[in-house]
Amino acid sequence: MYFSSFILKNLTRRPIRTSLTVLGLAVAVGSMIALLGISDNVERGVTDSFERRGVDLVAMEKGKPNQTDSDIDEKIVERVLQIEGIESVDVALAGLIDVTRGSGATIPALSFGWPPSNGGFKDLKILQGRKLEAGDVAKAMLGFNIASHLKMNVGDQVVLQGEPFEVIGVFESFTVFENGAVITLLDEAQRLASRPNRISGFSVRVKKSTGDLAAKVEDVRLKIEALKDSDGRPTRIAAQTVRDYVDDSSHIKILRALVWMVSVIAIAISIISMLNTMVMAVLERTQEIGILRAIGWTRARIIKMILGESILIGLAAGVIGTIGALVATHTLAASPRVSGFIEPGVSFRVILQGFALTALIGILGGAYPAFRAARLLPTEAIRHD
Amino acid sequence: MTNGSAEYLLFASDLHKTYPDGKVHALNGITLGVREAEYIAITGPSGCGKSTLLNLLGVLDRPDSGEVFFRNEPLSKSRDLDRFRARQIGFVFQSFFLLPALTARENVQVPMFEGPPLSGREREKKADSLLELVGMGGRATHRPMQLSVGERQRVALARALANDPILLLADEPTGNLDSENASRVLDLLNLLQRERHLAMIVVTHSSEVAERADRIVRMKDGRVIDDGVMLAGSAATRI
Repeated sequence: MYFSSFILKNLTRRPIRTSLTVLGLAVAVGSMIALLGISDNVERGVTDSFERRGVDLVAMEKGKPNQTDSDIDEKIVERVLQIEGIESVDVALAGLIDVTRGSGATIPALSFGWPPSNGGFKDLKILQGRKLEAGDVAKAMLGFNIASHLKMNVGDQVVLQGEPFEVIGVFESFTVFENGAVITLLDEAQRLASRPNRISGFSVRVKKSTGDLAAKVEDVRLKIEALKDSDGRPTRIAAQTVRDYVDDSSHIKILRALVWMVSVIAIAISIISMLNTMVMAVLERTQEIGILRAIGWTRARIIKMILGESILIGLAAGVIGTIGALVATHTLAASPRVSGFIEPGVSFRVILQGFALTALIGILGGAYPAFRAARLLPTEAIRHD
Repeated sequence: MTNGSAEYLLFASDLHKTYPDGKVHALNGITLGVREAEYIAITGPSGCGKSTLLNLLGVLDRPDSGEVFFRNEPLSKSRDLDRFRARQIGFVFQSFFLLPALTARENVQVPMFEGPPLSGREREKKADSLLELVGMGGRATHRPMQLSVGERQRVALARALANDPILLLADEPTGNLDSENASRVLDLLNLLQRERHLAMIVVTHSSEVAERADRIVRMKDGRVIDDGVMLAGSAATRI
């Protein structure tokens, strides 16, 4: 018999209590992993949508929390292009749009208005039809997620903000947001949003010649922020590196804060639940612990036994919780209402974080009962009934 | 040593023990020597301090004053009493105290985690041979609830021998057994004590148990009123 199998036997002799504790912790840990996973995927999705396109700077209206709230005069781009060291600039009008389904119900979806020259078109894998071209009127491309939820194919009509558009292409992108989005040409998007000549932001690629790229990016960034409009007034544009843009995004900040708040509550409940189970286990086994001490078990081994039990419960909850989190994120991502915002799956890093937290729950929840058990005097514990 | 502990395996010198309420003087100056391979029975009325003495000799508890020496070394100065208890002493209890979730074979292995390093396979093999020794070879996979009380005590005896102790302490080992099972356990204790050269201290109410010992120590009110031998230097006088 190994010490680990001894610990396992202690847990399996109270199968209902052990299972219920594991299940309770699994729900808490699973929610935590799912939420951390969703937050992580959202952050990665935003980062990917810029970094994988070689974007160095993201610009939007200063003081606005997100691209969808930002409003910039598209004329400013001509001046941006005159800044030395810039390779290319892609503009976009991003926003939320009402899409009407066949049943007549509307769902919110992300929409991007891109000019035909936008470099993003190159990264889209066309699954059906073609890409948008200059001169396309009342035509839209759908990401495969939203196309699948709307059950639409090339040639079908999709109603955007109450106006019919012809679906001329269905695409797949490397970012979940675009897979759940509708793309129209920029002027069509501006018309639908009643924002003529306005854009929500632009992304900048800096020339990758020799020298310190970070310094060049910073130089361009400062020059963009220093631009004045035709009346000589500040343009109020904030240009940020992708990392800073993601870290400053209010949606991501709120998501992170919510996830950690829920996680802290879940961890606290888990620790209390574990404490309750292990204190009960120690109380019930007082005499047995006395006997183990009498036959020579050290205090350290008693601590190892109780902590081993609580950590094993935590890890079992971690395994079940991870499976639950994977199922939950896939189910959630398949829902039409969030398909454009949530990528299914949980990254390995988040799963590792989840397991580290379950181990922590095991250690913190088992520590007090373990030390309490180790302090028992063998003679008194043996007399305990 | 001036206290005469040198010739003994275990020597208790002037032990006093009062329980926390301060009213009960469980032990009131006990001095007792145990030689290697000696079989001692401690008898006396209930509450006379027999079990308290056994607990102090087995370092399960500490005396208020006095000292227990093992091979002439004071145990109060030992840093690792758990290790001493695990490797030098085997305990047998009246209520057996086997772990209910474990089989007989697993119960015997429990003290081995603190014994000399053995692999899982070696622990199992040793447990099987100890179960054979106490006549329980065929019941290795049975849990305590599936065994008779006599069988449980034999498994407990195998467990007490798990780390090859030099001293066996037994508190009313036949107290819960019928006469037939009691007799079998006592025969086994005698056999093991002889074959393994164990020193053995048995606390008992039973005259049948006491009569099998080399020496009977009688206690009353926390004192030894009759030791079968003169201590500290004079020749042993066996009863």
